[in-house]
Amino acid sequence: MRFIAFAFKNLFRRPLRTGLTIMGIALAVAVAVSLIGFNIGYRRSIDVSIDKLGFQVMIMAKGCPYEAATMMLKGGTGLVYLPASTYDQVRSDPDIAAITPIFVGVAEKEGSGINDESASSFAIISGIEVESFVSMKPWMTMSQGAGHLGGRWFADDATGEVVLGYEVAEYEQRKVGDSYYVSITPYGQTEPVMSEFKVVGILERTGTQDDGTVFMPISLARSLFNRPTELTIVGFKLKNFSGFALRQFEQRWAKLPEVQVVGLQQVKTTLVSLVETAQTMIASVAVVAIIVAIIGVINSIMMSVFERTGEIGIMKAIGASKSDIFQIIWLETMAICLGGGVGGIILALSGTSLVEKAIQSLIDFGTRGSMVAITPQVMLVALLGSAVVGCFAGLYPAWRASSMRPVEAIREGE
Amino acid sequence: MNNNIETMEAPIITARGLKKHYKRGIETIKALDGVSLDIRSGEMVSILGPSGSGKTTLINLLSCLDAPDAGELVIAGRSVNGLVEEELVNVRQGVLGFIFQKFHLLPTLTVAENVELPLMFLRRQVDREKTLEVLRQVDLENRAGHLPKELSGGQMQRVAIARALITDSKVLIADEPTGNLDKANGEAVFALFRRLVTEKNLTVIVTTHNLALGGLADRIITLEDGLIIDEHLRQ
Repeated sequence: MRFIAFAFKNLFRRPLRTGLTIMGIALAVAVAVSLIGFNIGYRRSIDVSIDKLGFQVMIMAKGCPYEAATMMLKGGTGLVYLPASTYDQVRSDPDIAAITPIFVGVAEKEGSGINDESASSFAIISGIEVESFVSMKPWMTMSQGAGHLGGRWFADDATGEVVLGYEVAEYEQRKVGDSYYVSITPYGQTEPVMSEFKVVGILERTGTQDDGTVFMPISLARSLFNRPTELTIVGFKLKNFSGFALRQFEQRWAKLPEVQVVGLQQVKTTLVSLVETAQTMIASVAVVAIIVAIIGVINSIMMSVFERTGEIGIMKAIGASKSDIFQIIWLETMAICLGGGVGGIILALSGTSLVEKAIQSLIDFGTRGSMVAITPQVMLVALLGSAVVGCFAGLYPAWRASSMRPVEAIREGE
Repeated sequence: MNNNIETMEAPIITARGLKKHYKRGIETIKALDGVSLDIRSGEMVSILGPSGSGKTTLINLLSCLDAPDAGELVIAGRSVNGLVEEELVNVRQGVLGFIFQKFHLLPTLTVAENVELPLMFLRRQVDREKTLEVLRQVDLENRAGHLPKELSGGQMQRVAIARALITDSKVLIADEPTGNLDKANGEAVFALFRRLVTEKNLTVIVTTHNLALGGLADRIITLEDGLIIDEHLRQ
């Protein structure tokens, strides 16, 4: 028999205690893994969402740029608008490689609930200029799935055509050629006006807010919302994008009234920092959980050592050296911690969606899609962390057991 | 009885003036107060005496499980005075085998695994054939796969004896090995000791309260108040 097998047999002598101790470690590891996974996933999600906006810089109405950026990413109400003349003024800037104007409005969908005909929801309407918009988002292609064949973009002067994001089409169960209804309350009026459109295309899934957006020509959107001379944002790509180029661009256009220039890298950093407070809180919980779990492990192993005092004395009597006893107790602790590590990873993997929902209900992140990324590296770190915890947690009980004098240990055990 | 005691080779254990004193409050307990003896290979020695006479203290010293306060102890030609614990482990390993009153078998290990346990500490390869051979010597070869809880007290003590034999120990040291056994099982254990002495030339040192069983040894040493008050050969 080898030491490791012997250590395992000792652990299985008290399966309930061993199981509970492993569970304590597993919960702590699950919290830590989920937290790290969330950290990585959220940053990745922000990166993807912002990168898939297609532009590096945007001009928008003055206000909180991050709130506006979040709305761009996630949708929402309370949008502020800037004069359409801004677009004409800025488009001549020599540093601009590409530019696209976007008008965003929120419409009401009545009776759109699948299970409840009386329910209502919002539809995010994005008025775009097809050529410039699509050139910034070359990944946006028409879906060729069942019922989606023959999809195309609308003409900029079309008046009754829309293209649906993938999720909108799925939720509304619309195909190319179907009708699509929304109620829009024009600016300055109180009663919504219902409009009917023909779905001329359904987009492939992008994993961004575009999946939940209804696209129509910008002129049509402005007209329906009764904001014929306004825009929500103007998106840009600069010829040579850098912090310096961005600052110069900002300085040139800061002179425009009611307008601000926002770099999306800056938005990324700020959005990430917005959730850092929440992350710190969750990290604190994880640290406390890990400390409690370590104390639990030490307590459990110490109890086991005290209960086996006589046995340890006998092992010494029949030939075990100090280092043998140390090794056995230390291996038991390591086995518990590594077992907890593996259990924690499994727990974290299986509970990712629950954790995600719980976190999302607490904080508005401004992104779509999965925000917890438990990568192989995270799992490896968790396992190594468990091993390190095991190393340290096992030191004292192992030292205590190995330091027992055989005669006293046998006597105490009897 | 082994009739060749006087003509046997040099002692495997030699003790001279062993003392062990304990402090209990302000009182000093003289558990052993100058014990000298020689034990030769192939000899079966029983140590008798009432509770508190120093039997267990003496056997702990002879086992290198404890160190004397004074006196000299030589085991298998090696003086153990002043050795640190790890060095005492080396002296014990492969020379001394132990049998305890309460058997002390590990409950999760099978009979065979309990017997093989010392080999793990000695870093020796397990040879299941040898394990079965040792179990055969104690008449338990058909119990190799059983757990201790499935055995009687007498059987458990025989497993403990097999555990002491597996390392080819030269000396078996048994502290009250029949203390938890009934008369029949106690006699069986002593008969087994006798057989091991006769057939394998082992040395057996055994403490007991039982005068009748103690009288089965080659030499009977009686302790009282930490001193040898009587020592005689079996009649």
